Amino acid sequence: MVVECLTGKKVLMKGNYAIAQAAVLAGCECYFGYPITPQSEIGEYLSGKMQELGRAYVSAESELAAINMVIGACSTGAKAMTSSSSCAVSLMQEGISYACTDELPVVLVSVMRGGPGLGNIYPSQGDYYQSTKGGGNGDYRTIVLAPSTVQECADLTYKAFYLAHKYKNPTILLADGLLGQMMEPVEFKPYPYSEIENSDWALSGAKGREPRIIRSYGPLAEDRCEFLEKLFEKYKAIEENETLWEENDTDDADVVLVSFGSTSRNVNTAAKLLRAKGLKVGTFRPITLFPFPSKRLAELAKRVKMFVSVEVNMGQMIDDVKLAVNGLVPVELVHKGVGAPPDPEDIAAQVEGLL
Amino acid sequence: MEKDFIIAGFGGQGVLLAGEVLANAFMIDDKKVTWYPSYGAEMRGGTVNCTVVMSDDEVSAVQKSKADYIIVLNQASFDKFTSWVRKGGSIIVNSSLANVKKTRDDINYVFVPITQMAQEKLENIKMSNILALGILSKVSGLFSLEILEKALNNVIPAHRKNLIPKNIEALKLGYEYDLFNL
Repeated sequence: MVVECLTGKKVLMKGNYAIAQAAVLAGCECYFGYPITPQSEIGEYLSGKMQELGRAYVSAESELAAINMVIGACSTGAKAMTSSSSCAVSLMQEGISYACTDELPVVLVSVMRGGPGLGNIYPSQGDYYQSTKGGGNGDYRTIVLAPSTVQECADLTYKAFYLAHKYKNPTILLADGLLGQMMEPVEFKPYPYSEIENSDWALSGAKGREPRIIRSYGPLAEDRCEFLEKLFEKYKAIEENETLWEENDTDDADVVLVSFGSTSRNVNTAAKLLRAKGLKVGTFRPITLFPFPSKRLAELAKRVKMFVSVEVNMGQMIDDVKLAVNGLVPVELVHKGVGAPPDPEDIAAQVEGLL
Repeated sequence: MEKDFIIAGFGGQGVLLAGEVLANAFMIDDKKVTWYPSYGAEMRGGTVNCTVVMSDDEVSAVQKSKADYIIVLNQASFDKFTSWVRKGGSIIVNSSLANVKKTRDDINYVFVPITQMAQEKLENIKMSNILALGILSKVSGLFSLEILEKALNNVIPAHRKNLIPKNIEALKLGYEYDLFNL
């Protein structure tokens, strides 16, 4: 395992280690987790590193315990995270819903594997719904960041801590087994964001001030509707300020291939293959899955003839693409249920078959 | 230009480590590179492989079903991966643990008694993986021994640096093996 390095030097590293190292560099003070393939390297790295740095590492007795430990740590204003995968992230849904209503800066790294149920340990994008729609109760939103390279695993981990604290909202870094297990050169730049002031809400000890209580707003709250309205004003601000995406060759495109995460690499290659055949194909990659770049897709829908959502699941993000496109043009699906993304040649052939 | 490499063998033969050294070499050479392991319910004695993709531009895909160069360190991997070699590509076969048999005439076979050489010349069969990289350097002509040496330095942890000279010896032994005297 390499030492922390900050600028100008690339190191070859697994996505899982890049996430863990970036969390340390982002100033993560507490990690709570329970191992599960394909993300166990995150806890493995942090179990040594956090201790070395005098920070907190707790091997939790369950995922339920881990997410609630994160909630506890975050209520003191600390930078805290957990990491897990698919069937085990399912166990954390109650905690995520509570953290949303408690408005706590929880960071959750979710490295997707096959599902549903116990599923399998191969790469998958089957938790798009789980992350963006959630399995917890009530009206809530989590910020969801989807890296597509090991470099982005590091960069977006930084961003996850920043956004979680800026908006006091749970933030999910949504990677998958392929990103977690593959190695690629990565450069660790210094944490680029400012530290967020939290002295006005954190439970830091009540000496010299009124005590504070952070809790889920309950049945006796009189401002029930007002509370939700305020929460959703925050989500609207997040949509306005934080939506991120990447697009290539969309200027003259007849067909735009939409994909996220590790699948996008193969999709970009497929688009090049189709361009080489003279077909006007562009690519669009949401980097934030919530907020979803709906506005930009709606703009593109005015002149694009077709969108194709390419996913490693049975078709989940396609729903959000369809909502954005709002029936203006067809939205088709090219997918593979589970595993590494389809070969670029397969994607290209299937897209060609749709034309 | 993009080239795909697969290294395969028994768990415990250092297949993943050899891939990591190779990928580091390409990184040091300023190429785009990815490394991806077979992973699953793997265990010592089972089969394992990794794919390394080196490219001048963005890597086209991390997982491949064909490769330009494949190193197989045991019979099971030789059986499985022969059909994965691209036409005109090369397969480096550890003939200490796999039968010398050619089933295709459109690829280049390189049979080397890797385990035997590691045992006899280096007195350590654990050096087989690095010795194989020396052969790959010669066969592919895509990376030098000097870069592999730097890559070894990246991969071998601080408390094992004493092993570097022996590994360099293994690289040279592979590189200098007379490929034409087969």
